[in-house]
Amino acid sequence: MSEQAEANARYPLEGIRVLDFCWVWAGPYCTMQLAHMGADVIRIESRKHPCVTRYLPPWADMVPGPNRAFFFNQYNLGKRSLTLDLKAPAAREIVYRLAARSDVVTCNFAHGVIERLGFSYDRLREIKPDLIMISLSGYGDSGTYRDYVAYGPAQVPLSGFSMLTGYREFPPMHTAISYPDPSAGIHGAFAVLAALYHRGRTGEGQYIELSQWDSSMQLLGDALLGYAMNGSQPERDGNRDPHMAPHGLFRCKDPAESALGMPIDRWVAIVGRNDTDWAGIARVLGRPELAADPRFATVAARKRNEDELERLIGEWTAGLEADEVVERLQSAGIAAAVCADNKFLAEDPHLNARGYFCETPHPEIGVRKHAGIPWLMSRTPCAINRPAPLLGEHTEEILTQLLGMTAQEIAQLKEQGVFE
Amino acid sequence: MAGALSGVRVIEIGEMVSAPYAARLMAGMGAEVIKIERPDTGDPARTRGPFPGSTPHPEKSGLFLFLNVNKLGVTLDLECAEGFALLEKLVQQCDVLIHNLPPPTMDRLGLDFERLERVNPALVMTTIGPYGLSGPKRNWRAEDLALWAAGGPCALNGDYRHPELPPLKAYGQQAGYQGGVHAAVATMGALMARMRDGKGQYVEVSVQEVLAGILEMTFGFWTYAGLVANRLGQKPVQPLEVMECRDGWIYVCCIEEHQWQSFVTLMGEPQWAKESIFSDRLQRAVNWDALRPLLQEWVGKQSVLDLYRQAQERRIPFAPVSSLGDLVNSEHLRARGFFAEIDHPVAGRWNYPGAPFCPQRTPWQIRSAAPILGQHNRDIFSGRLGLSISELGRLKEAGIV
Repeated sequence: MSEQAEANARYPLEGIRVLDFCWVWAGPYCTMQLAHMGADVIRIESRKHPCVTRYLPPWADMVPGPNRAFFFNQYNLGKRSLTLDLKAPAAREIVYRLAARSDVVTCNFAHGVIERLGFSYDRLREIKPDLIMISLSGYGDSGTYRDYVAYGPAQVPLSGFSMLTGYREFPPMHTAISYPDPSAGIHGAFAVLAALYHRGRTGEGQYIELSQWDSSMQLLGDALLGYAMNGSQPERDGNRDPHMAPHGLFRCKDPAESALGMPIDRWVAIVGRNDTDWAGIARVLGRPELAADPRFATVAARKRNEDELERLIGEWTAGLEADEVVERLQSAGIAAAVCADNKFLAEDPHLNARGYFCETPHPEIGVRKHAGIPWLMSRTPCAINRPAPLLGEHTEEILTQLLGMTAQEIAQLKEQGVFE
Repeated sequence: MAGALSGVRVIEIGEMVSAPYAARLMAGMGAEVIKIERPDTGDPARTRGPFPGSTPHPEKSGLFLFLNVNKLGVTLDLECAEGFALLEKLVQQCDVLIHNLPPPTMDRLGLDFERLERVNPALVMTTIGPYGLSGPKRNWRAEDLALWAAGGPCALNGDYRHPELPPLKAYGQQAGYQGGVHAAVATMGALMARMRDGKGQYVEVSVQEVLAGILEMTFGFWTYAGLVANRLGQKPVQPLEVMECRDGWIYVCCIEEHQWQSFVTLMGEPQWAKESIFSDRLQRAVNWDALRPLLQEWVGKQSVLDLYRQAQERRIPFAPVSSLGDLVNSEHLRARGFFAEIDHPVAGRWNYPGAPFCPQRTPWQIRSAAPILGQHNRDIFSGRLGLSISELGRLKEAGIV
């Protein structure tokens, strides 16, 4: 960037370009963070093998189509799309020329794939010596299983979450979402930003290797250290906590609505951190005498009698609307929250009042709610200035704008199938 | 080797997980992190464990030791004017202040950006608030479980065959970890902006919003298709399930059609696999109740590690359900040097989980163990701020440090 452009820059990463080979969830989640901060993220896509998230439900109004899938549209907000058949030599040449004009290259293929495509870090660094490149893979670039295939859902049990998560005396459970995917993606975004910071001070680029397995295990750091200390695997214990009681979800009145026959129930999370909290909960329950009841007076007693404790609270919540339970408990200074499903979230007055949701219009499906940016910056705001791209939407724009190609050159390449 | 963030000075006023985890990430990249704890009990993570021999001790909590490697530790009572004045002096010398004190506590202490910006215009200050700093829930009490519920992940997890069981949290303090790593990202964005013009700014992170953004495709079922998604619904694709082998648990995972076909081959082409109700991944999801017992019968006769290897040889992404012991003893993780042995003067020598990622030129590294409560008071308050030993003694007497 010129000094003038730099002085006028509004966004934290304005002027940073990312050549994005990522797909599915982990990688796109990483590069979406950079787009949120104003980086120009160019997704390299294939028309022959588009991102799987373009073909997963839900689609807008349940009409399938590559530009209608929420999964893609959510995690590619603010990016541009360039389609290339990377097997074509002319396409590879385009990538090399774009790399020369990029700051960061990202990919989340299995180990070795990006090298086979001809885009190893060593090769790209010849073109752009201060390039930063990150590869997010399931198992990493080294180690016994580096050639194994990894999909987000399977990383949950692999990284240790399933054995620790579940109802008491039930089998190991999943986390429902492919939790290691966004976790890897966000750790990757941090690593890229730190590398950009280093480059800003020293002029040096670098290659970053990220194993989804490594980044996921951070989130279990206490349990892993506990195993090192004691050789013990904590038993699955539902929503309970070893140091606090009550600590659980309690069923309230079912909501009136029911979508397409789907059973909907409503639960509230309630946490009593200590005896003072418990006395507050007992008052809200209309049973102040329970505060001093020897079965519940101390955390040790409440842990011993937790089944009974939960039964008493559950009896109270069962007759009430969830919002009312939370309102009463929060008024008494107790941590409580409705266990929000997607509809509840989309309608949450708090999130809406904060302007959290992104409703940037999309050329094919119009205005839809998406999750927005979970932070605010006071001086260099972050923004979602464009919706997720249509497949190949920016191919010509990018080739013209960045590589100075003529319409005739582009038409020729198109004829050769380079943009498939 | 110099870290990517070497020379960056960070003040962390962190309790439990979120701000400490953000600062852990920065410290591993070479930032100098001064962790401020309250003088009496310190960070509540010190009471959480797990502890060696399960005996509680404030210097031996696994959660605290893991989150706070590489940091300098001081104690400071921010509730009193003298304590807060010392914080302002520290802020003059630092680049980043990151904290997760609840908004009502911030208000009480007067911990606001306008005030600190005056002493250091280049300051990047990051607040991790459970519900952010505006809106009707700003001052709501929050605990990790309540946030996991309020942000949306909790409602999705459970067992549809047991609707009487509640939505299920994931192990540990996951709202805290997600809040922390997202806050670290936002903070780095502000540092990048500062590199252009030397000016700091205020960064606010809402943990609820962070969680509402990691719900995979489920949020869109409502906003794209008018469908509620919760733990009682079907998965869109099957098989994606934990199943029992004869010697443990494995995750059976076929997402692409070729993976299912290879799995059918691995099972010896059973006749039932040709049924039209199992013909594609959507059909297999709709008819999962019929498919599950058929798969379980075959999987139940296998051993975990053999099935894992055989599946992977056919490019089917199965994975074992790892216990902590499996992870600590994993040949793969050992070959990668994931665990690092760290000595702590009170807690002893243990194997810690190591780097979350590997930047080749500026590696993420553990250089020192977590601080003992107030361990660096003298280095920081005398060495950096120039307090005399007698002044420091007086502050200590008064319970301020």
